[in-house]
Amino acid sequence: MESLTLQMILVMMMIGIAIFLFIVEWVRVDVVAIIMMVTLPLLHLVTPKEAFIGLSSNAVVSIIAVIILGAGLDRTGMINKLVKPVLKIAGNSPSRIIIAISLTVAIISSFMQNIGAAALFLPAIQRISKVQKIPLSRLLMPVGFSAILGGTITLVGSSPLILLNDLLVPFNLEPFGLFDVTPIGLGLVAGGICCFILLGQFILPKGEILETQSTDNSEDKKSSPIDEETTDFFEVSTPDDFTHYRDPLHVKDLKLRYLVNVLDITESSDFNIVLPSDETEIRSKISLLVSGRKQDVKRMSLNEGMDIKDNLDRYQNHINAQTTGTVEAVIGPRSHFAGKSLQEIDLPDRYHISALSLYRQEKTYLSKIDDMILQVGDVLTIYGNWKHFKRLQSDGDMLLSLPSDMDYMRPEKAVWAGLWLTIALVMIMGFKVQLSVSLMCGALGMILTRVLSIDEAYESVDWRTIFLLAGLIPLGIATEKTGTAAWIANSVLNVIGDVSPITLLTVIGILSTLFTLVISNVGATVLLVPLVVNMAIAAHTDPRMAALVVGLATSNSFMLPTHQVNALYMGPGRYRTIDFIKAGSLVSVLFLIVMIILIKLIYGV
Amino acid sequence: MAIITISRGSYSMGKCVAEKVAKRLQYDLISRDILLAASERFNVPEIKLEKAIHNAPSILERYGHGKQTYIAYIRSALVNRVINNNIVYHGLAGHFLLKGITHILKVRITSNIENRVKNEIKQKNISESQAREMILEDDMQRRKWTKSLYGEDPWDSSLYDLTICIDKLSIENAVDFICKATESDAFQTTEKSIQKMKDLALACHIKAALIDDFPDVGITCEYGNLLVYLKSKDYGNKLLKRIKQLQNDIEGVYSLEIHSGIVIPPEAV
Repeated sequence: MESLTLQMILVMMMIGIAIFLFIVEWVRVDVVAIIMMVTLPLLHLVTPKEAFIGLSSNAVVSIIAVIILGAGLDRTGMINKLVKPVLKIAGNSPSRIIIAISLTVAIISSFMQNIGAAALFLPAIQRISKVQKIPLSRLLMPVGFSAILGGTITLVGSSPLILLNDLLVPFNLEPFGLFDVTPIGLGLVAGGICCFILLGQFILPKGEILETQSTDNSEDKKSSPIDEETTDFFEVSTPDDFTHYRDPLHVKDLKLRYLVNVLDITESSDFNIVLPSDETEIRSKISLLVSGRKQDVKRMSLNEGMDIKDNLDRYQNHINAQTTGTVEAVIGPRSHFAGKSLQEIDLPDRYHISALSLYRQEKTYLSKIDDMILQVGDVLTIYGNWKHFKRLQSDGDMLLSLPSDMDYMRPEKAVWAGLWLTIALVMIMGFKVQLSVSLMCGALGMILTRVLSIDEAYESVDWRTIFLLAGLIPLGIATEKTGTAAWIANSVLNVIGDVSPITLLTVIGILSTLFTLVISNVGATVLLVPLVVNMAIAAHTDPRMAALVVGLATSNSFMLPTHQVNALYMGPGRYRTIDFIKAGSLVSVLFLIVMIILIKLIYGV
Repeated sequence: MAIITISRGSYSMGKCVAEKVAKRLQYDLISRDILLAASERFNVPEIKLEKAIHNAPSILERYGHGKQTYIAYIRSALVNRVINNNIVYHGLAGHFLLKGITHILKVRITSNIENRVKNEIKQKNISESQAREMILEDDMQRRKWTKSLYGEDPWDSSLYDLTICIDKLSIENAVDFICKATESDAFQTTEKSIQKMKDLALACHIKAALIDDFPDVGITCEYGNLLVYLKSKDYGNKLLKRIKQLQNDIEGVYSLEIHSGIVIPPEAV
């Protein structure tokens, strides 16, 4: 075994720093990668050319192309149109609906970014939940996990797998084909879905069905139990002498004092103000449509001398599917709203929409939500006219389900989008063209046939993922080049001794699972592949299989809501972290078992 | 109806002015007894509270939270006490501790150093040099204290509504001016100012309840709707549990939310 050199120590230090920064999140993950890209050549651990080779690597180009292809499919709206026929086949059985939607998402995710597929289906799943009366919490987690598992079906399904072939090059190992992982991926998807079908009632929260807002506020109404956090619509009116002997009361005062939002004011002459501004004065003899918690509205009417009606009277017809209502909008993964406050976004001015509450990590926020900085996965309850909701939806910054079917965005381009995707796949499978070249051809085809514009293509690319990949590739090169990977591999083998190939692969699987929970899946892949390949060579195990286990197991991220898909679904599904730990632990263990068994059966390890 | 805070350097006759104002207006007079109230309420030795409110933070203290904790206790006790109005407070840092209450008359009594030295010699029967040293040390500590905790110089006259120098003016003159000022509309209670006071009392109460375990929180309260601000994005279950418990235990709290990852607003307690 080679003795420890200064270069190895430096590489291990850099790996340690990278892991530390990933965990503490002092800087964003892509910034960590850029730090590596710049520091490694300064320390003479890689050449300057090697430092930036990631930016032109096949993996990075493939990911850019996959993202553009996904965006193109998204633009045509064709993916969402799959929902209807799939539901027709599934029928009314909740189990069959879960299986059908999960399988569909998994297959879509096999050639799209997982998070893209998950975000795409979220509004449709919310609609299915309402229509089929299945609690959203029973649907979202199985679908979300299927989106992650679907990324193991093809070599372009997830970033670690896309990266795999590039990481095998220094070892002169045969690259994997596009569908080499498909039997294992399908097995994993099947395992995950079965787990939820058979054990879902034990591991998933019971949840509630999202009803449309009720217009009946009488005590004996039959609806889902109203908890303290639930807001509702109420009609209140002010008496003739409301403004006598008091300081003027404004809309903002009601919000501040009682956390009640005034949505509409109607004066006696039927003059109507929709979404009145904060400075609007509350006058005598007016009717107000307000939204708030029942206890707050009651307190308001008591303190301010207003009358609450038992039911909506004047506003009875106001809230329906055709005119106005509330909807839950989720901040999507690529949303420009993330990182901004509601005050900066100014929904009332831009879209004539009002945000009533914000739901984040098991808590509903009603007070001063305008100051809160929005995060991906936040759920906003918004009120407005359905026309305005559609405009908001088409801008793409929020994911929301509307009562009517979503309009195609560019339905006439659906055929072209499908065609170019097919061409790319044929080039890969039929003509054995390099993955990156084939996928980029497909992406270019979509741009040339105006499925999406070049600017839309640029905008759709997630540069965070690109720089994360590009920046960590030189770290992997440094690990291999300096002999650090071999040194660590031999040290580990000296400790664990002789183990059978299957045991070694299982240990690698567990290591990869643990790593991916704390650092990104790409980071885990780049750091572990050189290490495990060296370990496998030293232990006389197939090194390609060791690398494959890493490429697959770094997608085994279910136990915590750290994966982007889980983070996105946590809010709308009203999941708690413990829900992910419960379900995720089971699925993670199953994942490892199924993966190892299938690798043994298919590759004869 | 008003709340009067009288700030003064040591031996500036501020205490005497405060006593006479309270007597004339028939207001309650409070000073160091507030430390006793805080000590009993929060089970902390009075000497520690006195040190916290008098001495500027040492270098070590600047990195710890001990002083802030004691200040939070004192503030909570003081606000709770003044909520009934008609109070003259002549303890330390009243105008800072009662910041946020709009109908407070903030008075500063000053005197030249020579008169102050004379007063101290008379009272303590010490030498002139000793008296001067003690007064200068005391002034320095108070200025440092205020600057380090609130970023302001207590000698800045813009912090006060009324600054009276007791050199040519007598104590009786000072009392006259102060009593007259309390008749001004600006220092009368209104529905809004009473609400602000109640809100401040609640916010201070919550802050005192949380500060031991969560020293970095900022609390605002508006009409019983409390917001707990945290600079860091993440907070544990411990804070959530405490918040829920406080919401159940304390009357007048209609909602209590945690807003994390946001800059704490300047008006927060």
